[in-house]
Amino acid sequence: MATREETPKAPPGGLVYAATAHPWSYTASVLLVAVAYYTAAKLGLRLALVGRNITPFWPPTGIAVVAFLVFGRSVWPGVALAAFVVNLPISTSVLPAAATAAGNTLAPLVAATLLAKVGFRREIDRLRDATAIVFVGALLSMSISASVGTGVLVASGALPADELPGSWAVWWAGDAMGVLVVTPFVLSLVLPWRRPGRPRWRHLEAAVLFALTATVSVVAIGADPHLMFLVIPLLGWAAWRFQQRGAAPAALLVVVVASWAAAKGVGPFRTGTMLEKMLTLQAFNATVAFCSFFFAAVVTERMHAHQALERAAAGLEARVRQRTSQLSATNLQLRKEIAEREESERRLRQREGQLAEAQQVAHFGSWEWLIPQNRVSWSDEMYRIHGHVPQEFPVTFETAVDQVSTEDAARIRSNAKDALRRADDHDLPNIEYRITRPDGAERVLLGEAKMYVGPNREPLRMVGTVQDVTEARKAEREHRIAETLQRGLLPDRLPEVPGLALAARYVPAGADIAVGGDWYDVVELPSGHLGLAIGDVAGHGPRAAATMGQLRMALRAYALEEPSPAEVVNRLDRLVSRLLASEIVTLVYLVLDLDSGMVRFANAGHPPPLVVGSGGQTAFLEDGLRSPLGCDDPGLPVEASFRLVPGSTLLLFTDGLVERRGASIDEGLERLAAVATGCGQDIEAFCDQLLCSMVEDDAADDVALLVIRPVPLTGRPLLRVPAEPRVLAPLRQTLRRWLRESDADPHVANDILLACGEVCTNVIQHAYGANEGPLEISLDVRDGTAEVTIRDQGCWRPSSGVHGGHGLPLIQELMESVELSGGPDGTVVRMRRGVSNGSDS
Amino acid sequence: MSDLARVEGEQQGTICLVRVHGEIDLSNAHEVSSEIGFAMGQEARRLVVDLSDITYLDSAGVALLLRLAERLRSRRRELQLVVPRGSPVRRVLDFTGLPRVIPLESRLEDALALGDHALPDDFS
Repeated sequence: MATREETPKAPPGGLVYAATAHPWSYTASVLLVAVAYYTAAKLGLRLALVGRNITPFWPPTGIAVVAFLVFGRSVWPGVALAAFVVNLPISTSVLPAAATAAGNTLAPLVAATLLAKVGFRREIDRLRDATAIVFVGALLSMSISASVGTGVLVASGALPADELPGSWAVWWAGDAMGVLVVTPFVLSLVLPWRRPGRPRWRHLEAAVLFALTATVSVVAIGADPHLMFLVIPLLGWAAWRFQQRGAAPAALLVVVVASWAAAKGVGPFRTGTMLEKMLTLQAFNATVAFCSFFFAAVVTERMHAHQALERAAAGLEARVRQRTSQLSATNLQLRKEIAEREESERRLRQREGQLAEAQQVAHFGSWEWLIPQNRVSWSDEMYRIHGHVPQEFPVTFETAVDQVSTEDAARIRSNAKDALRRADDHDLPNIEYRITRPDGAERVLLGEAKMYVGPNREPLRMVGTVQDVTEARKAEREHRIAETLQRGLLPDRLPEVPGLALAARYVPAGADIAVGGDWYDVVELPSGHLGLAIGDVAGHGPRAAATMGQLRMALRAYALEEPSPAEVVNRLDRLVSRLLASEIVTLVYLVLDLDSGMVRFANAGHPPPLVVGSGGQTAFLEDGLRSPLGCDDPGLPVEASFRLVPGSTLLLFTDGLVERRGASIDEGLERLAAVATGCGQDIEAFCDQLLCSMVEDDAADDVALLVIRPVPLTGRPLLRVPAEPRVLAPLRQTLRRWLRESDADPHVANDILLACGEVCTNVIQHAYGANEGPLEISLDVRDGTAEVTIRDQGCWRPSSGVHGGHGLPLIQELMESVELSGGPDGTVVRMRRGVSNGSDS
Repeated sequence: MSDLARVEGEQQGTICLVRVHGEIDLSNAHEVSSEIGFAMGQEARRLVVDLSDITYLDSAGVALLLRLAERLRSRRRELQLVVPRGSPVRRVLDFTGLPRVIPLESRLEDALALGDHALPDDFS
């Protein structure tokens, strides 16, 4: 029943329930209408005032109008059929009954049609709907049924002709009342329940209201006729609180009670003629119906208007809010733009003022050449750059290029000529050129220029800037040189020393100066010992880097010659004092005997190396100290020594690691010792950790780090060295250590050492001829037996000369088993010997 | 020279005593040989090379000694070695049969006491 008309102008007959959709539903609708009509008629006839068939209140007409409004006019057969069945027993014959039924059908049909025409809405929520149903639906249309019905009664002789006006009035009033009271009631029942969730007290209120209405109606109408009009306020209440939904049932209730009273002749209807009773009843009923209707319609309309107003207000409010926020955003933007504009204007003014100053500071000059007049104007700084007093003389193109070196002047002329030939605005290629000032000084300038042409594309003027880049170019060159130097001066990679872990870091100061005078070095000495050095040349830049490079090479040279660290440092001191005067250099040089772990060292004014024990205990090596190199302080060679036990770590560093602004070196050393305590297994990670916690991002000084840690040779060391005589002594060092750590008997160790020496000597002498090649030695001790495997990738040539040839028999004598296998890919010698003396032969 | 081996020469009449310390291998055999040559004066008739302080010597060292002996012999000079018993060097020398070619004493005194009569001046 939710269907309602969306527009007042409904299609003809278009009460949308036009039951054409399905034959069954149509039939059902017709039957439903017929039954409803018949039932309502039976009820209405009980209130008959005239004879048996004229009643002051005829509900079926209301049912019929509702049926046509809801189901469409096509259900008229239902109405006609029911009306005929109702009228047949109370009519004189079939014909009058059919005629009356036709009138009863026609009247609601006309009412529905007219209502559709005037745009009636079933909700009756507007005043015009109330007006329409009262005047068009009830009063006008029902005159048809009244006229037909009473006409038939008179014609059939059932009614005397003189009673016709009274009967017509009763009929007409009854039908009209039927429409006025029943139609709104039924329509209110089939109205869509738009607000289902009504509060419970509303239901209570409705119940109280109807109970009150019923009581007042019955009491007032039945008992005391003077109180009859008390029902009006109740109807007003119903209309006000529940609109049509409340007013229609209340009106129906009151009308039914009044009609019943009239029919029964009680209350106000106790006396008087039928016409008087009828007039009273109809007047009362009309008042009730009109009141309830109009009041409800007006209230509904006002409520709708109020809601519409609220919606509109809410929408307006939202729009205002939105617009306000837009406005304030725009306003903010505008204010910001104004502020920015002011700021940029201020900056522009400031910049103009600063321009002259800036030109001077940046050695940046500007010029303009008015081509037709051949007049050049220079900024003050242009004069200064060229070595003149500002505005000293008028400038022309020729005087402008006068100071430029010959070949650069030619380039400038050629650029200018090309620019003059091109008849459009354009940038000239940038040019770097040299000028000579009047005092003979040479400067490097960078020129940028732009050409402007006139309206007829004739060359008009050229403007440009000139920057004195002499210092910048010099700095760039120095930087490049220094960087190259630095890269060439630090070791590419640290040597691989068996049984020793080495790690190093070099961090240049800041970001702008990529070079410094710090360095470190690791030298494999002929004795098999390892020379370790770390040093610092005061200052930065190419000069410090160059000095560092020279010192590094000198140290290597002295170290190869001289086993004593103190003597090496002494010689370096002499070198610095005599050849590199005015340089201050600090340095620590250490010689590590890998076999015994003994370290001898000399320190020339450098921060003391740090030793970190396996348990994290730290000690600075503060002995062996003398003044820095180049101090012209010929002291006695000072040397100290200590034993670097396995598991401990030696840290060499430059002062950049421990220096920090606002803190003393001693504090830095303390901090370093604290950080170094946490030195773990991985010395690479240790280096990173040190740099991370010790060095600030914008460190003022370079930092160099060298970390050394003896590691056990146990397991299966693999040594890979070039097959050259110089590797023999270091190899013996490693082998001795390995044999000692493998608990080999000293005599057995000597034999194995000798056997290995023989094989290696053989490889070096014979495997590669004049070429270079690798020598690979793998060591293993298992179940008390040492196994040494020596490989090469060459082929052994027969020993030449009378003094050779001892090698192989000697090896076989020294070792318990010797396997020699040779092939095109090289030779492998595998030797075994029990490490305890008992297995000695 | 490098610190792998050190050579000290000392003239005792016609005997030249050369003490070699350290290790001799392929890398320094030639150098040690030259050093010994320098240490020996023109008038020396006999060269005593004391290998007591040698901690390592392999066949490169043996070859050096054989060459040295041959060179001296061609100049009618005598070479005598001093190697203590139990020295690691002794085993190498014994194995290569060197003592059969070059006289070898265990003690320096014995070597020096031999005098320089072994090869008289007029022996030819």
